[in-house]
Amino acid sequence: MGRVLLVLRLVAADVRRHPAQAAMLLVSITTATAMLSLGVALHGATEKLYQNTREATAGPDVVAYSPDTRRTTITALQSLRQAPGVLAHSGPYRQYYTTLTAHGATGAAVVQVADPAPGPVDRPLLTSGGWVRPGGVVVERGFATALDVRVGDHVTVAGRPLPVTGIAVTAARAVYPWAPGIGPHGGPSDGGGLVWAAERDTRALRSPDVPVTSFINLKLRDPGTARAFTTRDPAIAPAFEHTWVNVRAWQDVARQDSVMLRDSQPILVIGSWLIAFLAIGGLATLAVGRATAQTRRVGLLKAVGATPGLIAAVLLAEYVTLALLADALGLVAARLIEPAIVNPSASLLTTATGPAGGTVAVTTVVALAVAGLTTLGPTVRALRTETVAALADGARQPRHRAHLTRISALLPTSLLLGTRLIARRPGRAFLHACTTAATMTTVTGLIVIHAQTATGYPGSPMANDLRDAQQHHVILAVTAAMIVLAAVNTLTAAWTTAEEARRTMAVARALGATPGQVTAGLSAAQVLPTLPGALAGVPLGLLVCLLFSGPDTTWPPAWSLLAAALTVLPVTAALTAIPARIAARRPVAPTLSAEAP
Amino acid sequence: MNESGGVLRVRGLCKEHGEGQGLVRAVDEVDLDVPAAQTLAVMGPSGCGKSTLLHLMGGLERPTRGEVRLDGRRIDTLSERALARLRRRSVGFVFQAFHLVEELSAAENVELPALLAGCSPRAARRRAAALLERFGLADRARHLPWQLSGGQRQRVAIARAIANEPLVLLADEPTGNLGTGATLDVLRLFSELRAAGQTLVIVTHDERVASTADRLISMRDGTFVDDTRLAGSNTGRLGGMIGLGD
Repeated sequence: MGRVLLVLRLVAADVRRHPAQAAMLLVSITTATAMLSLGVALHGATEKLYQNTREATAGPDVVAYSPDTRRTTITALQSLRQAPGVLAHSGPYRQYYTTLTAHGATGAAVVQVADPAPGPVDRPLLTSGGWVRPGGVVVERGFATALDVRVGDHVTVAGRPLPVTGIAVTAARAVYPWAPGIGPHGGPSDGGGLVWAAERDTRALRSPDVPVTSFINLKLRDPGTARAFTTRDPAIAPAFEHTWVNVRAWQDVARQDSVMLRDSQPILVIGSWLIAFLAIGGLATLAVGRATAQTRRVGLLKAVGATPGLIAAVLLAEYVTLALLADALGLVAARLIEPAIVNPSASLLTTATGPAGGTVAVTTVVALAVAGLTTLGPTVRALRTETVAALADGARQPRHRAHLTRISALLPTSLLLGTRLIARRPGRAFLHACTTAATMTTVTGLIVIHAQTATGYPGSPMANDLRDAQQHHVILAVTAAMIVLAAVNTLTAAWTTAEEARRTMAVARALGATPGQVTAGLSAAQVLPTLPGALAGVPLGLLVCLLFSGPDTTWPPAWSLLAAALTVLPVTAALTAIPARIAARRPVAPTLSAEAP
Repeated sequence: MNESGGVLRVRGLCKEHGEGQGLVRAVDEVDLDVPAAQTLAVMGPSGCGKSTLLHLMGGLERPTRGEVRLDGRRIDTLSERALARLRRRSVGFVFQAFHLVEELSAAENVELPALLAGCSPRAARRRAAALLERFGLADRARHLPWQLSGGQRQRVAIARAIANEPLVLLADEPTGNLGTGATLDVLRLFSELRAAGQTLVIVTHDERVASTADRLISMRDGTFVDDTRLAGSNTGRLGGMIGLGD
């Protein structure tokens, strides 16, 4: 118990001494686990939401549509009530293909004639307001969200303004804007939203110019066989000899719903890999930067009799504790963001559920792996160092790189200092270039996605780019997270470099380097590796986009990609200027006195 | 050189740390003139302010009060940038802990001040090679600091300090980390520099080092308590004892 208390005290003391480093670790792992959790959660997320909605609304297993309202058609649809395996039904109903105007925006809509009380199959769940009454309509939630319509607002249907009495969700239709089921006259649909209206209010729509479809909702004894449901069964086939019918199984609706997220999932999954890489890169820089202090700490602990096991526990406990905390934060963040990601149309019910056990396991393993991989090396090295050596100075001697030193002699003082700082830790410069390349890969993806022409639905301008918008939002969120992490990593690398080179820079200043030259040198040590990283990230990003591109993909102009890559340079310079300036302004004499080897 | 002939001139120099009851006067109202080509040794117990005085004279620290003039030019009011430029050309530092750049070879360390001063790489290399040759380190030019003995490291540090032919060389406990043999090597170098007319200010605990100077100042609690002209230094009794006599 005493040892555990000691470990906890030492961990708490270290976090208090280095709050910025602890915060950086938390931000990195939280972002990575949140993104990973979202990526994992998206797999099958829509199907899950659809099932929830289906259960809550008594969703039909099969909807049979027929593109007219003739008596023979209605009779044929009614005959399906006796079809083998049918347990329950509601309808037949009519739906009119028209437009709906709200707040000055007009969109394609199907207006379903609704009973005063919904039937046993397809009972739309009201999320606000009340059910249809004469003189008032209910708008499907996805459609209402796109139009920004609320209960009490007025919408215009067939030239007649009607108040919205309720907002509802249903599993009988695919999510907005794929609500029509089938298009006018049985053809393809241009998309649109769903509105329920009383029979009296749809009379104005009875016109040869307004296409209309009849349909019936069916519940089967075995929902799993819905796709095999056919009107060719001998018991009902004669009724359909002269009637065309389109049967849609619930599985077709679920598949259609999942199309909304089809393009977003790879962005999130690849984004989570890149973010995890950035987190590892940032933490590795941090861990190596702290290695000297850690080694001295190990020396002190050894000197007072701590065993290697206890020392390892002290060194790893902090990172492991912070990693687990960050994992929990990431899962919570993902849980809060998830509804907006998995249900962009708002047409499905988003019941509150925690992350699946598998998701928690994956993110926890990743968080612990990130913490372990980045701290294990310095920890083992510190443990192997002899006590006296550890107490004296735990820093590893940088290697002599004669070639780079000779080349740097030809450069102006700032670049000379920057290049020699890179020569001290070329691994860090390489890692910085790699993280820049990863960030630039995502930025390239963002540029490529924004270069695409929005494809949409002629009748529904507001629905035009719902899927594109979703894709844009996701890539923007991933890119923003990457840029934030990359910025944190750059600051960490700049500060760590400045700390490590504190004595060298003080010597340079004692020999006549100005604070400005030292500032520029410290910045240059970060900016120089950024250039190859940024330039490599562009083709990498294009390569990733190529894997998911189609024949109609529009590629952005080369200059825009080059401009984005080159923008990284001044941004890095600006980011590193502050820590570099602080480091360069340190008084020389105390530094040299304190840093005597 | 200024009209009084002093390369370094210090008036009313004061350096305070802390405040209130914790106020410490590391250097307390000190006046000093160091003529050209003089070797001045400053001795005193640890914490008496010797190193702080040296740092103030070299522009590594700023005084709380008073003024420092180098070659007639007041330096305590200069900007950091101007001070850096001044150090490049006019001041050389030698530290007890050597402070060589660990990842640079001996030659590259000696080249560094010349490169910072804007010399061409070739000229810097030539000058470094000549200095290392002069200091008996030609065969160690490519060695990294950790591959050199303490005495060799300090000789490299001295070579680096005089690479730009400074007006004054400020040495802070230059033999503090060295054994007897290495101390003698360093003293020989100082003797050569003195003979060549180099102005030297050496802060030291070591009486052997102090005895090689032209002048010895004793410090205590931030002030000068004694200022002695040493006659026949280097060839006197102590100089002879440490092997610097004829």
